[in-house]
Amino acid sequence: MTSRNFKVLGQNHPRVDAYDKVTGRAAYAADVYLPGMLACKLLPSARSHARILRIDTGPAAALPGVRCIITGADFPDVRFGSGALRDRYVMPRDTVNFVGEPIAAVAAVDEATAQEAIELITVEYEDLPAVVNPITSMQPDASTVHPDLEDYQGYGFTMGHNVSTLLDADRGDVDQAFQDADHVIEDVYRSQGINQGFLEPMACVADVEPNGRLVIYASTQGPYQIRAGLAAVLELPVSRIRVVAMELGGGFGAKLRLAFEAFPALLAMRTGRPVKLVNTREEAFTMNGPRLPVTNYIRSGVMNDGTITAREAYTIFDVGAYLGAGPNSGIGHGIGAYRVPNFRLRSYGVYTNKIYVGSYRASGVADMTFAVESHMDHIAHRLGIDPYDLRLRNALREGDVSVSGAVVPSNGLLETLQAVKDAVAWPRQLEDGHGIGLALCEWRSGSGPSTAAISVNDDGTVSLLTGSTDISGSDTSLAAIAAEALGIGMQQVIVAKRDTDMAPYTGQSGGSRVVYSQGTAVQRAANETRDKLIALAAERLGLPQDALGCEDGRVYVLDNEPQGLTFTQLAAASITSRGGPIIGTAALSSMPYTPVFAAQAAEVKVDRETGQVRVLRYVQAQDVGTAINPMAVEGQLEGGVVQGIGRALTEDQQFDPDTGAVRNPSFAAYLMPLAIDTPQIENILIDVPAPDGPFGARAVAEPPGFGPPAAIANAVYDAVGVRVKELPLSGERVLAALKGQSPALTMDVASLRRAEGIAAD
Amino acid sequence: MKQPLQLQINGESRQMLVEPFYSLLDCLRDEAQLTGAKKGCDEGDCGACTVLMDGQPVTSCLVLAHSAHHADITTIEGLASVAALSPVQRAFVEHGGLQCGFCIPGLIMSATGFLQSNPNPTEEDVRFAIGGNLCRCTGYARVVEAIMAAAAEMRAAQ
Repeated sequence: MTSRNFKVLGQNHPRVDAYDKVTGRAAYAADVYLPGMLACKLLPSARSHARILRIDTGPAAALPGVRCIITGADFPDVRFGSGALRDRYVMPRDTVNFVGEPIAAVAAVDEATAQEAIELITVEYEDLPAVVNPITSMQPDASTVHPDLEDYQGYGFTMGHNVSTLLDADRGDVDQAFQDADHVIEDVYRSQGINQGFLEPMACVADVEPNGRLVIYASTQGPYQIRAGLAAVLELPVSRIRVVAMELGGGFGAKLRLAFEAFPALLAMRTGRPVKLVNTREEAFTMNGPRLPVTNYIRSGVMNDGTITAREAYTIFDVGAYLGAGPNSGIGHGIGAYRVPNFRLRSYGVYTNKIYVGSYRASGVADMTFAVESHMDHIAHRLGIDPYDLRLRNALREGDVSVSGAVVPSNGLLETLQAVKDAVAWPRQLEDGHGIGLALCEWRSGSGPSTAAISVNDDGTVSLLTGSTDISGSDTSLAAIAAEALGIGMQQVIVAKRDTDMAPYTGQSGGSRVVYSQGTAVQRAANETRDKLIALAAERLGLPQDALGCEDGRVYVLDNEPQGLTFTQLAAASITSRGGPIIGTAALSSMPYTPVFAAQAAEVKVDRETGQVRVLRYVQAQDVGTAINPMAVEGQLEGGVVQGIGRALTEDQQFDPDTGAVRNPSFAAYLMPLAIDTPQIENILIDVPAPDGPFGARAVAEPPGFGPPAAIANAVYDAVGVRVKELPLSGERVLAALKGQSPALTMDVASLRRAEGIAAD
Repeated sequence: MKQPLQLQINGESRQMLVEPFYSLLDCLRDEAQLTGAKKGCDEGDCGACTVLMDGQPVTSCLVLAHSAHHADITTIEGLASVAALSPVQRAFVEHGGLQCGFCIPGLIMSATGFLQSNPNPTEEDVRFAIGGNLCRCTGYARVVEAIMAAAAEMRAAQ
């Protein structure tokens, strides 16, 4: 621990919304009931790639209780995208690109009537050739998903045809380094489709105010991004749209952007009535983008002592019908938490006629970590070096240059490694069938536009206003930061609910950015508030500002503590003061590079008869810097690891090989961990304060989920001596490996190199 | 066609006209304006809609409203008095057994029903008792801890 002396931070605080959540009062979007509200249902495309020749809504429209039906033709002819590339319509106008894509929406007096109407709509399709496998999709003779790709706004960074994205990162002389290396080791890994598994299906209520403004009650991580997305696809100025962020029932990246809000919005505009859309669970699986499979080729040049001198990694991200997040991580995380002087990293985003790729808890990084950290163990075993020692030898140190070129500031990477080593008493010989595996995880504290306003209330409490929706207790952490900076208790901070009309603009709640970036804005706003309180007190007391301190809800005289003014007195005084009522604000657009590192270890038991893997114990050490609210930090770490265990062992979003349709769209068929599946999890919080960030806090949320697939795969190798390179590590797959029958994973890297004019072997 | 239905909800007798195909969950949310029970899947897989029916935890999405005619239903809204949270609710708050909160009403109702039948459970008993409740945020550690703490507190109070 450090000598920092906090009054609020570092202690466990119940969440500010805990009471609402345990009493059932917390209101999520589906809990919004407005007078005269209509229900909206969606018609999914039955085809993976087809021209829509005709949509007959006549019989559906004639059904009593149906108020309005819309199709793609009812929306302005504008494309939008989840990033710069605008490759999709909010509802397809003439071509469907995946099974499940919504092609019509009905508003009716109730859900049953709306669903009945959906079933009365008939669609005439003309099938087009579809491509489902991303590797096939990259072949020149594959059918084209987006024939007009080059005309799309934001086109660039691509190879054309079905390759939506090609990203590269290079350093040093890779080919020479491979030639000079004592060993060259290569692997191909494949990770599966993953659903975010948020418990609250997408939901939205749209209403039109008497003045014609659109109000959206949303389940979102980004109210301003919903507003911007709606403005784009409805061709409305953002000022005509108000987004109210309701409680968020889990998002994990799936609710960062515009999803289905435009459908109830247009229906509300057409009918003048509030319209509610709540996805079914099946729709949450088939309409809303999950993570799609990733294939990764990785090759390393290594010296006899274990020093890695070269790395080449080619990663192919299936992006489905429309580009989303992921490909960035192919270059951003191709060397992991290690110093690698020479590298060539390539990352491809490839279109297929599957559901579009969505975001999930640092999209793609868990896939990269599985490959990089499995590969590290492969290198260690090949060279006869202890996997821990190999990691320690190559681990990034302060002053090294990260993959992006940023200098690595002070951090707790080595401390996390040591802590996990001690906790599991590594290296340890276990009984047959038992094993331990390690993984190292790296991420950075998230940046992006952040704002905060703090006003002092009559009774000396403060109201904190930010535009960030709460995820994982961020409201509570922001309140703690404000309280610490102002010298008041948590109870004295009121956190306002979000609404784009009243809160200042901010980035999305995601990518581990809220506490780090938004928290910095809160800290700065609190500092300004405190400075104004002190200035006012100085004026009233006739003393210089530097003679005053601020603590326990009052400004006091440093060498005469009993003398001072309480926040309540200052709030009253401010009303008639020169400066007026007290409000502190802050805004920032980006934060310096601050890495987050975690070391993890899994202890498993493998059943040689069935191939079943059971995780017996999981240890993680993460450098979180200052733990703002340790109970919340540990909750994040545990939740992340359990998501990672699901990814490692049971979760598998499957797609029909011919149509690309999601094959297992239910919680009964998509297996997320239950309480009975989860092992004992031990958290070790390492506290190396971030050079920037609020009170030295680092980001927390993303890294815990990265490690489990590799740590568990490495533990399986330790237990039974087989390396499984494909996720999930199902009993079937492990058993096949035990029998020496694992299917070979390959990637034709030579032709990818050739396409780029790289001559290397 | 809507049929008359009588339920005892959180100690209050309610008469409603409800469609025959309505689930107990839809009836609670749409007709009784009790939105604490959540619709996470409507297929009985996630447990977010768990309520107590005659003292037993049920996934209300799988119970036809009319099959609950005259039954005694307790929802999350019925647990806390104006003055105080129930021991289970309080333990979830104090032990940080919640994050997004969407699964929490179901988890608390499962735990409440379970502790009535097994006041002295092992941790493993608790994990099985909530084996039908999915939670994506917490990883269950703090949820299990909260339920164990609530059990201890309830035993001590007796």
